[in-house]
Amino acid sequence: MSPFKRKRAGGSRGTNASKKVRFIGSVNENTSEDEQKQENECSIPAPVSKGKWKNKERVLVFSSRGINFRTRHLMQDLRTMMPHSKADSKMDRKDKLFVINEVCEIKNCNKCIFFEAKKKEDLYMWISNVPHGPSAKFLVQNVHTLAELKMTGNCLKGSRPLLSFDPKFDKEPHYALLKELFIQIFSTPQYHPKSQPFVDHIFTFTIADNRIWFRNYQIIEEDAALVEIGPRFVLNLIKLFQGSFGGPTLYENPHFQSPNMHRRLIRLATAGKLREKQMVKELQKVRRLEEKQPVTRDVTDEVFATPAEEKPDEIELEAPPPKSAKKKEFKRKRMQRLRMR
Amino acid sequence: MKMEDFENDNQLGVGSEEEESDISDGELQEAFSKGLLKPGLNIPLQEAKKKANNVAGLKQCLADFRRNLPWVERLDLTNGPVADIVAKADGKTSLEDRGEINAEDDFQREMHFYRQAQAAVLEAMPRLQMLKLPTKRPEDYFAEMAKSDQHMQKIRKKLMMKQVAMEKSEKAKKLREQRKYGKKVQTEVLQKRQKEKKAMMTAVKKYQKGMSDKLDFLDGDKDKGKKALDKAAAKKAPSAKRKYKDQKFGFGGKKRGSKWNTKESHDDVSGFRAKVAHGKGGKKFGKGGKNIPNKRPGKNARRKMKSRS
Repeated sequence: MSPFKRKRAGGSRGTNASKKVRFIGSVNENTSEDEQKQENECSIPAPVSKGKWKNKERVLVFSSRGINFRTRHLMQDLRTMMPHSKADSKMDRKDKLFVINEVCEIKNCNKCIFFEAKKKEDLYMWISNVPHGPSAKFLVQNVHTLAELKMTGNCLKGSRPLLSFDPKFDKEPHYALLKELFIQIFSTPQYHPKSQPFVDHIFTFTIADNRIWFRNYQIIEEDAALVEIGPRFVLNLIKLFQGSFGGPTLYENPHFQSPNMHRRLIRLATAGKLREKQMVKELQKVRRLEEKQPVTRDVTDEVFATPAEEKPDEIELEAPPPKSAKKKEFKRKRMQRLRMR
Repeated sequence: MKMEDFENDNQLGVGSEEEESDISDGELQEAFSKGLLKPGLNIPLQEAKKKANNVAGLKQCLADFRRNLPWVERLDLTNGPVADIVAKADGKTSLEDRGEINAEDDFQREMHFYRQAQAAVLEAMPRLQMLKLPTKRPEDYFAEMAKSDQHMQKIRKKLMMKQVAMEKSEKAKKLREQRKYGKKVQTEVLQKRQKEKKAMMTAVKKYQKGMSDKLDFLDGDKDKGKKALDKAAAKKAPSAKRKYKDQKFGFGGKKRGSKWNTKESHDDVSGFRAKVAHGKGGKKFGKGGKNIPNKRPGKNARRKMKSRS
């Protein structure tokens, strides 16, 4: 009984004050009730504490200063979705990135998700396997959080997710490495004390337009009826490093264009258009001031010249004879006549 | 000779390839004399910066990093999307659609993600059941959810509002349509009635004026015809009495200037009845002769009658 109680206390320490009473796993009365019910998949599973938590993955999720509300909510959502995550205070931007490795070590985490906001506009995300493993830097776009009212699904807090990857992840070596990183970070370890034993939602990672699209769906029915829970975001890979937050670059994304460059190109395009307009105007001015040569011969004069003889002009001196007024009979009379014939 | 970097390189067509922009003038002159440089503006094309793609390193890193955990720990699947029945029915599947997802077409893209998730779920369910991992949550299992109940209430309310608003707009549209249609029908009916009435009136007037002596207009609608006929008959011959009274009292009651003491009215002797003036037209006034049915004879007459009888 006491180890059971201890586990329960350990479980509720980290979570926020929940409004509903929480029964992790089963109290003994419930199992007996269930056994009385028909045996089907509705049986309450064994409490989480029964299994041994072997896969010790811990993810540190935190950010730098200067993030906006959307990023903050995204971070919180990720922490909600991943019970094996830990939070930390904001990091100063003055510190170099490899300080993060030390922070992770202090917190006893072996993975890290770090959000970095630049210019209050661009959001970069680092994911890394902390001591020596690979790390990757992404540009995050199209962020939608859990709290959006269009995301109507809901799932247990801390339930284990299914992970679904696009087959394209197996085709390129850099994608394969990223797939392994994602698997290790996003999958909740079995028998984690804060996890729920059910599998009721699924993360999907898809590659489209050279970006990685992340979606989170709730599994409502066994026949794969799904509703989106959120959050959702798009990752644009920038670089893959061999070490954690540093080290030699293993891969650089050729399709990546930094947001600064992107904005610059847009500005240049509009500037270019304006410049072209101005040039055209100036050219027109110059042309107007040019000396114009008078054109004596009209080139289009001969267009209608047909090679036919000219007729002599006839002048009529007498009036033309009057036309005989042809009176047309009424239809009735005409028909009568026809009938009489 | 300065080599200037233009931003739109491709506008100016002539550009010969130069490896480095720091070739000395002497070398350039040599190259020119040899004929390697073409006339026109020569722009040094920079080679695209080579992006690192250390395939071997990646594979090595992956091999080092990979933890071969049992599937139960990872729960990962790699699968393409479920076959799209709707698109097949429309006949729209093309190789391009199957291979590349159009990231701009929102609906198609999201459906692709949805189908991928579906395929994963369908594949995973039997495996989970084999491993005895539950997927269905029993009804009496209460636990904290990722989104609070309050939030779910908000979502539900919003959905309901949307639905209600849509229904309202549908109803309003239908009502408007109905009203339009009703209005159309109403105007049509009124017009028809007016037309009929007009036709009837013209026919009746014609008959009245004697232009046509056919009672054809009765055939159209028998009852209406009869009524009209009666009316016509009544209007046809108002009696002399009626005429007199109309003249005197009709069209708005007593007329104001009907009595004038003018020369004409003085000379007008049409209202003079000699007998009335001399008091001899007594039959109309009072009881002329034996008008009174039961007049009792006088005493003398009665005695005479008595003696006679």
